[in-house]
Amino acid sequence: MNLEARRLVFYGLFVAIGLIYSMRLFYMQVVDDKWKERAAEVSQKKLEVKPPRGIIFDRNHKKVVSNQTFYNLMFIENNIEDLDTHAFAQLLNVPDSFIPYRFNEIRRKLDRRTRSKITGNDTVVNDYRGYSSYAFLTQLTQAEIARIAPRLGRFKGFYEQSISMRNYPYPNGGNIFGYLNEIRYKELKADPVFYNQGDYVGRTGLENYYEKELRGQKGVHYIIRSARGGIVETYAGGALDTAAEQGPPLTLGLDIDLQAYGEKLMTNKKGCIVAIEPSSGEILSLVSAPSYDPNMMVGSRKIKENYRKLVNDSLKPLFARPLQAEYPPGSIFKLVQALVGLQEGVITENTGFPCNKAMVGCHNHPNAQNIQDAVKMSCNPYFYYEVKRIIQQGKDKSIFKDAAQGLDLWEKYMNSFGLGIKLGTDIYGIRSGVIPNRAFYNRWYGEYRWAFSTIRSNSIGQGEVKVTPLQMANLAAIIANRGYYYTPHFVKSIGKDGPKEEYLVKHNTMVEHQHFAPVIEGMRRVVEEAGGTARSAFIDGIPLAGKTGTAQNPHGKDHSVFIAFAPIDNPKIAIAVFVENAGFGGTWAAPIASLMVEKYLRGEITNERKEARILEANLLE
Amino acid sequence: MDRKNTYARNLDWSLIFIVIAIIIMGIINLYSAAYNEDRPFLLNLKTLYGKQIMWFGFACFAGFVISLIDARYIRKLTIPIYLFTVTLLVAVLFTTPINGARSWLGFGSFGIQPSEFAKLGMAMMLSYQISGIKSKVINIKTVTSIIAVLLVTMALILAQNDTGTFLVFTAFLFVMYREGITFDPYVLLLTNNILGLRLKHTWVGVHFIPVLFVVVFFSVIALIFADSDQSFTLGSFVLNIPGWAYVLIVLFVGALIALLLVNRLATTRNKKRLSLIIIIGYISFSTLNGLIAIGYLKVFQSHQRTRIDLVLGKINSEEEKDGKDYNRNRGMAAVGSGGLLGNGYRNAHLASPESGHVPESETDFIFCVFAEEWGFVGSFIVVVLFTLLLIKIVTIAERQRSTYSRVYAYSVAMIIFYHFAINIGMNLGVAPVIGIPLPFFSYGGSSMISFTVMIFILLKLDAQRKEVLF
Repeated sequence: MNLEARRLVFYGLFVAIGLIYSMRLFYMQVVDDKWKERAAEVSQKKLEVKPPRGIIFDRNHKKVVSNQTFYNLMFIENNIEDLDTHAFAQLLNVPDSFIPYRFNEIRRKLDRRTRSKITGNDTVVNDYRGYSSYAFLTQLTQAEIARIAPRLGRFKGFYEQSISMRNYPYPNGGNIFGYLNEIRYKELKADPVFYNQGDYVGRTGLENYYEKELRGQKGVHYIIRSARGGIVETYAGGALDTAAEQGPPLTLGLDIDLQAYGEKLMTNKKGCIVAIEPSSGEILSLVSAPSYDPNMMVGSRKIKENYRKLVNDSLKPLFARPLQAEYPPGSIFKLVQALVGLQEGVITENTGFPCNKAMVGCHNHPNAQNIQDAVKMSCNPYFYYEVKRIIQQGKDKSIFKDAAQGLDLWEKYMNSFGLGIKLGTDIYGIRSGVIPNRAFYNRWYGEYRWAFSTIRSNSIGQGEVKVTPLQMANLAAIIANRGYYYTPHFVKSIGKDGPKEEYLVKHNTMVEHQHFAPVIEGMRRVVEEAGGTARSAFIDGIPLAGKTGTAQNPHGKDHSVFIAFAPIDNPKIAIAVFVENAGFGGTWAAPIASLMVEKYLRGEITNERKEARILEANLLE
Repeated sequence: MDRKNTYARNLDWSLIFIVIAIIIMGIINLYSAAYNEDRPFLLNLKTLYGKQIMWFGFACFAGFVISLIDARYIRKLTIPIYLFTVTLLVAVLFTTPINGARSWLGFGSFGIQPSEFAKLGMAMMLSYQISGIKSKVINIKTVTSIIAVLLVTMALILAQNDTGTFLVFTAFLFVMYREGITFDPYVLLLTNNILGLRLKHTWVGVHFIPVLFVVVFFSVIALIFADSDQSFTLGSFVLNIPGWAYVLIVLFVGALIALLLVNRLATTRNKKRLSLIIIIGYISFSTLNGLIAIGYLKVFQSHQRTRIDLVLGKINSEEEKDGKDYNRNRGMAAVGSGGLLGNGYRNAHLASPESGHVPESETDFIFCVFAEEWGFVGSFIVVVLFTLLLIKIVTIAERQRSTYSRVYAYSVAMIIFYHFAINIGMNLGVAPVIGIPLPFFSYGGSSMISFTVMIFILLKLDAQRKEVLF
């Protein structure tokens, strides 16, 4: 037997394996792209860089919403070595038991129910990975991290990470700015390209409405990732990276000083103030009282802490009254009725009606001989007569059919004043108020079963009619403009652009320009003349036109209402003040409005006694 | 004539050149694979590359000592050396296990892996035993003594739970085959004494070792089928056969066809003999096959079975790429991402120590680092160098006058071949993940010293091949 020949088996074996491996190498490395793709999948990571949110300025370029750096205490479990739980708990100022509890909590949060493809059973899988980083503590302040960070070196596997969060330099305007909160599942599904789990999105207010603008453009950073999730180096020297772009700054029409002053005036009161610049529709201030400091709602820690408190508060500080509360407007509604009457020609400037208290209650005053005095004295019967002429124009023999036609026309007028419709203001949650129409009463009484007498309370702003304070302020702006309005809005410019186009559209009312003069004269007399209902709104040196209202409240004391604008000939500010359960409009709402006007136009208050009276008043008791 | 001069002239410089080339590439690669930012100096002894060079230094010193010994005494040192390595193998069993295996024997802060040295000891011992055979005919006593020594050593390795090295020891079966150590005496014992035949030798007995490997190969294929049902569609009729039954049927049908062929083609004289061979072959093949399948299920631990199943494709590696197949998947991705020319030295994205995507990238998966950084061109050079080394060693083996030297050289070749084939094979995803080092590349003092010393002894034996006759 030739054993020497068996060496060929060995040569063959070696050459065969050498050849097979060479071919296999060639296939894996040169021919097949599968492994290159797999390597990229494993080692390259597209890091999304989210810019800090856009900043918000007020009309005087004061920063009202900005960003602040907070810190998360992160950890990677695989990097933790011999954690001294006691020392660590002491460092974090938490009980020892919190440490294992928190680890367990983080892990449990990543439990996920899935259905097995094979067995069809529901199983719980856990997405927690020892090599991934998680936040042990979130949203630590500069002061907190400054205490922890220097000694963190002793605890391997833990490190700090900075995060950008909202900061509000003024404790005002909570209901305007809104707050950010962790993204909800539905929102995440709606825009999975931009958002990731755990992102913060605008939940209410401007933060919500201008989310797309404020969030900015996300940047992309490609890195070589280590198995532990760390960054080894920038991929391809950053050639493929794109920079994150911060959202454009928003400039508001809001005057933060005026806003702060308004909130101060409304301390210990329930109600709201809305001030608008008539010539542009920019909202100068929108006070909802009581309100809250927007800084109370920054980050999940504080939201968790404060949200329940705010929600359960009987005074409802989270309720944006100027936008969402619908009140009967009271006597301020008479202004619109006067204007419509003049436009329709059912009255003239010099039409008089007797103050017939048999028809509706009124206070003691001489009969109004013209529209100016009717406004000045806010005569209830006058407007019953006047509105009857609008509704019952005698165009149909049946008073019922006539009233229905009249109400149709009236509804159109009201809508042209922005009443009964939802204003397109740049904030969500706005309500439309109620302008009862034909269909409304048909539902209540049946078709042609109602006439003016059935619905006459609306003439003086009672009955079924309801408006929001924003609509009241807009009404003041319409009168100031003598017949038109721009949709009230907060944001006057987005970055270098102007406001949204819809806010540049002039909305004309159905009442022509010339009919406003007598009504405005009446409003001037309200403030300036003896017998006017709002002498308390008088400001020395600033001609102001106003109208009180006292909205009847079946649940308690009447609401005090006042709308005004000033100066009369060149209006810079139109304002509505609504104080709940405060009684007569001239007592509380009017002086508050005048203080706001003076503060805005003059920058200071001349009548300190008036201011002191308001500031000291506590109408909540 | 100057003695030293002769020695230098007689050394096989081409072997030295190949080995040094591999060692240099190995150290350059280890520098990248274990790069320590704080200690970039190549000879820093706190780094893996510094240590590896130190181990190589130790091995060179050992090589110098070996060069001083007359090659004729090496055979005489075999027994003590073998017994020493066996003693280490026994001693290691009394240590506390690390990761489920008792492989490390600590001396202070140093540790050695006796199993690495056991390969050298076994190579020498096998050479000693085979070279000591006096009679031309291999009798049962000779085979048994050789097999016994091998099995005892392998048993000690298995006791450590070191499956990788255990497998490497089957390399010696190839060497035995080359040396004509047949298993015929056992087969003849069966046929002549029990079945009453009068055979001088059997084909199965003579070629037992290659047959064994062929059986293992077919068993592996059978295993792939045995686990899943085989279904056949004949029109609307669907036949489902359990995998094990399918394997048995195929074997049976195969044997039947073979019998029919013999019946038709063979001469009457051979018919009976061939039919007997087929029937015995069929029965023993089926039995062996079954034994191997059972052995696979019973002997291998579940993680080892998983690794084998992944290579056999019985587990969907795509689904398990971040789970059970993590290491192999990352390793293959690293190798594959190298491309033609590689990502460049110290520029591995996956296998670099900074990235750490490939576990064990300084030891078992070190080839990934090289393949990723140097691409196909570099990897191909490594494969070629190892193939040349193996061919060279066999060539050296065949020119020895002494049986001892030849068997030893074959043993060295087969040990290196096993390490090379299994290690690179698992990096390429064609062999299951078995933790054995790539010679001269993987970090490890024991393997570095063991392989280098192996080569030094070979060089010494070869240099004096005209004088060493026994």
